[in-house]
Amino acid sequence: MKSSIRSNRRAATAVALGSVLALAATGCGDDGSGGAGDKGGEGSGKGTITFWDNNGGVRTDIWKQVIADFEKKNPGIKVKYVGIPAAGAQSKYDTAIQGGGLPDVGGVGTAMLAEVAVQGALEPLDGRLRKSSLNGKLSQNLLDVSKAAGGGDTLYQVPTSANNGTLWYRTDLFKKAGLDAPTTWSKFYEAADKLTDKGRNRFGFTIRGGEGAIAPALDAVYGQTGITSFWNGDRTTVNDPKNVAALEKYVALYKKDTPSADVNNDFTKMVAQWDSGTIGMLSHNLGSYQDHLKALGKDRFRGIPNPTLDDGTRVQVSNPVDGLSLFKSSKNKAAAWKFIEFAVSAAENSKFNESAGQVPANTDAAKDAWIQQAEPTKLAAEALNGADTKIVQLPYYLPDWNTISKADNEPNFQKLLLGKMSAKEFLDTLADQLNKAQADWQKNH
Amino acid sequence: MITEIAPAPERTVPAPARPRRGRRAWDEVPRWQIYLPLSVYLLFTLVPFYWILLFALRPAGSTSLVPWPMTFDHFRKVWTERSFGTYFANSVYVGLATLVLTTLVALAGGYALARFDFRLKRGFMLALLCSQFVPGALLLVPLFQIFAKLSMINSLGSVVLAETVFQLPLSMILISGFIRNVPYSLEEAAWVDGCNRLTAFRIVVLPLLRPGLIAVGSFAFVHAWNHFLFALMFLSDQSKQTIPVGLNTLMSADSVDLGALAAGGIVAAVPVVIVFAFIQKWLITGFSAGAVKG
Repeated sequence: MKSSIRSNRRAATAVALGSVLALAATGCGDDGSGGAGDKGGEGSGKGTITFWDNNGGVRTDIWKQVIADFEKKNPGIKVKYVGIPAAGAQSKYDTAIQGGGLPDVGGVGTAMLAEVAVQGALEPLDGRLRKSSLNGKLSQNLLDVSKAAGGGDTLYQVPTSANNGTLWYRTDLFKKAGLDAPTTWSKFYEAADKLTDKGRNRFGFTIRGGEGAIAPALDAVYGQTGITSFWNGDRTTVNDPKNVAALEKYVALYKKDTPSADVNNDFTKMVAQWDSGTIGMLSHNLGSYQDHLKALGKDRFRGIPNPTLDDGTRVQVSNPVDGLSLFKSSKNKAAAWKFIEFAVSAAENSKFNESAGQVPANTDAAKDAWIQQAEPTKLAAEALNGADTKIVQLPYYLPDWNTISKADNEPNFQKLLLGKMSAKEFLDTLADQLNKAQADWQKNH
Repeated sequence: MITEIAPAPERTVPAPARPRRGRRAWDEVPRWQIYLPLSVYLLFTLVPFYWILLFALRPAGSTSLVPWPMTFDHFRKVWTERSFGTYFANSVYVGLATLVLTTLVALAGGYALARFDFRLKRGFMLALLCSQFVPGALLLVPLFQIFAKLSMINSLGSVVLAETVFQLPLSMILISGFIRNVPYSLEEAAWVDGCNRLTAFRIVVLPLLRPGLIAVGSFAFVHAWNHFLFALMFLSDQSKQTIPVGLNTLMSADSVDLGALAAGGIVAAVPVVIVFAFIQKWLITGFSAGAVKG
């Protein structure tokens, strides 16, 4: 009897372990076909396509609505949605380009467009756009940014949304201190000083010193000097003496008018401390609008485009543009392109951007009522599309741009804040790396 | 008849070791000198946890330093709207399957390393150690291609296999250390009593390995539970993603819902904390046994 129980137990254990092994080893999977080398095909225009959202999670619900609308209008096409966390999107694309498993359509922002395009993974879209109902309906400024980010002459991304550098400020604190809105750089520096009261843990500004610090710093630098081009021939203007002086003035705010912990600020910490503390101004983009609304309510803050020069001249660096790309390896490009066209049509683009709090790329969508009611988005749209705005195109097309603007120079920016490096040394180092990367890029193009 | 009772042998009690000059005995140390540094350390460690609890339990927009009024909205949101229920189930599956596979294979491999001599054994041990220096990210593309060939992309099995493979070297080394500590003569005695090698191992050795198995198993579980990269790369369907990927989706490129993120963090941390609370006794024994005598 005992031995029978024992053997039953053994059999059960063996079955359980065997099941685990079998489940673990097989599972229902797919073969992940579709690497950068695959040529793909137009397909029948029907069937299932896969869409990777490069900012999955927060935007999942709105994309699912867009997809539902699309499937209703195109009953022969199913869209498989894959939400990828923003932090892992680049790695996921890189792995799929090398190993296979690319989607038919993917969200590819300008910050990673060059790296994906240079590996031959993306389909040129100029021809398709010319024949499309979208032709003439997309913001030319954004199309220029998309083309520039992809390397110059070819369009690899249909822009969906634009972000814009925004100066968020606490209207209640400004009113109490009798300050004007920080619409110019002079007013900005004056407010940063006046709102600071270190003894009471109150600061005029919070500076981004950690991850992602370079682009906002460059925005502040070019905005103050009014230099309108990133390149002067083959050399970058980034270390122009005027820019050096502007950067010195900007980083001098650190510890004087900002918390000392700002040296480690990424956007999460920066936004969290602005939303929960008593800091006068925050330079971020439209993306944090909903966070501020939740934390402060609509009456205690405003978001305006970054300050202008005293004469009203507005110079700003190009902000990342979100967009959709068609992958060369897609075996159903006709259906995939239909989805892109639909997603960027006026109604859907408007719906998407209202939820994302960004500026629509479709010019008809940009006229919708919700933009007029969301002041920061409206002002950003005006600044982006304004004839007087000069946009300094950051070299997103350089395959090394991400490395240069992140791993290589973010630690240097922290040294700059801590006084271990001068503004000139910082910008000279950055300029050297950019000039070399530009020379390499020109050699290959 | 006279029974002579031998006098009891004189017991010599060794004199307590005298503290070295300049050193105080444990009992002489005032309690505050022990508890104060420990309290400071505890405070330093627990404040971030309090902060997470605070964000998770206070309403969005509140700046209060205590979670009052308390709300569970963030938990409801992550569990239902953001599919953390599904992610949780997937993570449990990946964690447990990795635990079982790692422990089983490490037991077999560790036994071979401990009990048999074979050619290139030292080289094999060295290779196991060296494999620990290779970051997982470097192997993503080859692993992806292998799983693609096996049609295992977008299957939880791919994550389980990858996690197991990465856990095995350390687990095998640890287990072989534990097995070496069990006298071989115990197994030999079991053979004399009629057991074959497998039965002797199961009846005699396995029960003595409990602390080691718990250490290795929990290590494998926690690593698989927390690992982000493989799940991100090999899984695409939202219904198959795991907790670490889910947590990352709570942070967009330029906006973070801190309340939801904190609630998600607690959902992710609680099972690990509970597991450790139950097994900490064996875990410490297991690791120290493997480390010192292995």
